Amino acid sequence: MIRVVVRRVAQSIPLLLVISLLVFALIHAAPGGPLSTYLENPNVRPEDIERLRKAMGLDRPLGVQYFAWLWAFVRGDWGFSYADGRPVLDRLLERVPATLELVGLSAVVALIAALPVGILAAVNRRFDRLSGVVAVAGISLPVFWFGLVLQLVFAGALGWLPSSGRSAFDGGDFTDRVSHLILPATVLAAALSAAWSRYLRRAMRDTVRRPFIRAARARGLTERRLLLHHALPNALPTFVTVVLLDISMLASGAVVTESIFAWPGVGSLFTESLARRDYAVLMAFLMCGSVAVMLLNLVADLAVHALDPRTRDL
Amino acid sequence: MKRVLIACALAATACGKTPPKVAASNEMLTIGYDREPDTMNRYATHILEDIESCVVEGLVTNDERMNIIPVLALEVPTTQNGGVTLRPDGGMDVVWKLRPGVRWHDGVSHTSADVKFTVDAINKGDWKPESVDGFDRISSVDTPDSLTAVIHYREVYAPYRMQFVRGTLPKHILAGKNIDAATDYNRKPLGTGPYRVVEWKTGEYILLEGVPNYWRGSEFPKIRRLLFKFLPNTTTRINQLKSGEVQMVALVPWDKVRELRSVPGIRLNQVVGNGYEHVTLNQRHFAPFAELSVRRAMAHAIDRELIVNTLLDSLVTVVNGPIQPLSSAYEKNVTVFAYDPARARALLDSAGWVMGTDGVRVKDGQRLSFTLITQSGFAIRENVSQALQKQLRDVGIDVKVRLIDGTSISSVWFKGDFDAMLHWWQQGADPEITLFFAADRMPPAGRNINYFRDDTLTAMLYASDRTADETARLVLLRQVQQRLARLVPELPLYNTAKVDAVPVRLQGFTGNPTNAGPFWNVYQWRLSAP
Repeated sequence: MIRVVVRRVAQSIPLLLVISLLVFALIHAAPGGPLSTYLENPNVRPEDIERLRKAMGLDRPLGVQYFAWLWAFVRGDWGFSYADGRPVLDRLLERVPATLELVGLSAVVALIAALPVGILAAVNRRFDRLSGVVAVAGISLPVFWFGLVLQLVFAGALGWLPSSGRSAFDGGDFTDRVSHLILPATVLAAALSAAWSRYLRRAMRDTVRRPFIRAARARGLTERRLLLHHALPNALPTFVTVVLLDISMLASGAVVTESIFAWPGVGSLFTESLARRDYAVLMAFLMCGSVAVMLLNLVADLAVHALDPRTRDL
Repeated sequence: MKRVLIACALAATACGKTPPKVAASNEMLTIGYDREPDTMNRYATHILEDIESCVVEGLVTNDERMNIIPVLALEVPTTQNGGVTLRPDGGMDVVWKLRPGVRWHDGVSHTSADVKFTVDAINKGDWKPESVDGFDRISSVDTPDSLTAVIHYREVYAPYRMQFVRGTLPKHILAGKNIDAATDYNRKPLGTGPYRVVEWKTGEYILLEGVPNYWRGSEFPKIRRLLFKFLPNTTTRINQLKSGEVQMVALVPWDKVRELRSVPGIRLNQVVGNGYEHVTLNQRHFAPFAELSVRRAMAHAIDRELIVNTLLDSLVTVVNGPIQPLSSAYEKNVTVFAYDPARARALLDSAGWVMGTDGVRVKDGQRLSFTLITQSGFAIRENVSQALQKQLRDVGIDVKVRLIDGTSISSVWFKGDFDAMLHWWQQGADPEITLFFAADRMPPAGRNINYFRDDTLTAMLYASDRTADETARLVLLRQVQQRLARLVPELPLYNTAKVDAVPVRLQGFTGNPTNAGPFWNVYQWRLSAP
């Protein structure tokens, strides 16, 4: 097990280097740069822009900028934001709790919904049709549209919930924070649970058709025991992999949901930094995102390893 | 998913007992703001200074009629009141008399030493102020007494009146510090204004609270706290306004105005903005734009009244040049190219542009066909560009529209890599336009992105910049506008209305046509009784 972990971590280092080079090239290939916003303001004269370009080190050749960034980055110096001049690490870290809160809650809610729906859909044809329709709707609804409709209904028309933000201005009490979480978490959880329940249904269906289930049924096991103790453990490894991979994508922020709900997480920081071409924040963000995907991949493998004894000789 | 929805609906019902709506009151006004500031340092920020201006006051500001009015200065120096003198060596001295009795929020007096420190700090160049415009022409500052600062300019600099619109930096706090890294100041600046920063919660809001001993009198500010919530998504911001979670939104996008008209409790305050939407014609990239008859024909081919009355709901008015009606330099009597497609066709015919079989004119093998770029996601611009496309097509000019995202488009025009562009310039209260039209101000040296060269005009522009006497300068600028209108280097369309959504009960709110922003007089706002 430890050997697996060490090997995977070692493999990921060259991969991360390649990713960093690709990401650096891509964000610099996009038109515009950290100075673009200055161009629109007539008060900022061309001499100012030249002065700022030098002060920010943007006049250096790209290769030099990349290696300067890389060398500093591996030593833990993530630089300063081009937008507000604060340390990149501070800007990222202060956004992490909000994203964890939103993504964590959405994932839990989505799991709680997906598990029973997926299992039931695998064995009950009528429920399968119904949940299939709902799931397809959940997967297809564009997040930005669904989010805005929820705002209009629950905040606008009914006035039950705050439309966006994380809390009232004074930090809010527990009820206040929960009420701010409901709409964005619903949007995220809806999409996740819709997809997850279909994955689980598929995995369960494949399992219940296999001979060992028929054999177990012949031994007189109750349907309930059959499903939960025999079929589910066999279906779980595939499902867990999918769930963890989805979560790893969200670990770098639910970009659309966060912007629509003015949720102060890493996702909205990303949107903002992208618009300003804040290279320092974008690089750090994308590198952290890559590391998160790799880590959760590893966790997923280890989880499958633990859940499925057949994979242990790997 | 159904269960999730049901569970959420149940939870929502439970939470419904504490409705989020809070009526606007003199206790607190909540503002939905489209972006989070980068820094609260007015000299370093590169977005609008609305929040900053509640805390840090300028020596002057401009009101809703674009009059430049003193704030921390006792009066605006002019040649008439003796505040401005021209030196024999070609330089200029400006004397700023400061208002006595003004204190920084920590109780230290605001003095001419702060003015001198500000100039020195900016000219020292060891940090990143956004613009050093004008400061780099200052050779030194004298402080004969604590309330007098004499600014020595190396040359005559006509826009001197707005030099300190961003206020001063507190010497006793920032002296000897690296200002870029002075996070304490940059997040919670020390000012003299009616409010101070209580809390800046990153990604969420900035809370301002009225100061107890504001220099205008302890009865100001009338509203105790201002809460600026950062809501970058336009629809979210409008939704919060409708649901009452925010009570004010500054700069409502034009395409949202109609749906807000019916929202109870909200008043839409509109002022004529000091900016103008126009079509830039890049002569360097598309040679036919260098022909005066082509430019004039295009001006005749566009029905600006129709565009304004339909697509823009008559929110704005048609204008004929870069200096806007509110400016003291505005010249009304200029050549106007009225909508007249027949005249447009005749002009093109006589210039040798022959109608081709595909309905597009040709001359010497060149088709009169170009690409118009504009910002994507700006609904009204997308519509206007289509209208322009249709109207120009009617006289035999082919236009392709290309939408480019907001960040990319500025680097595209700065490189001059486009034929024509639909966009606006938003200007400050000073009428200087040299940057946009002088022949030596093409990028990267300026913003003459029409790449238009007219030596007479260039000479007139520079003469106006070096005329310290206000009246004489305005005469020159009026002649500039007349010449510009005749030469049509670009196609002016309409001015930019600034619409702010405020509570019906908010008194004292006037809006502002420039980037001084609607908060310029926030100290006197108050909410009347419901």
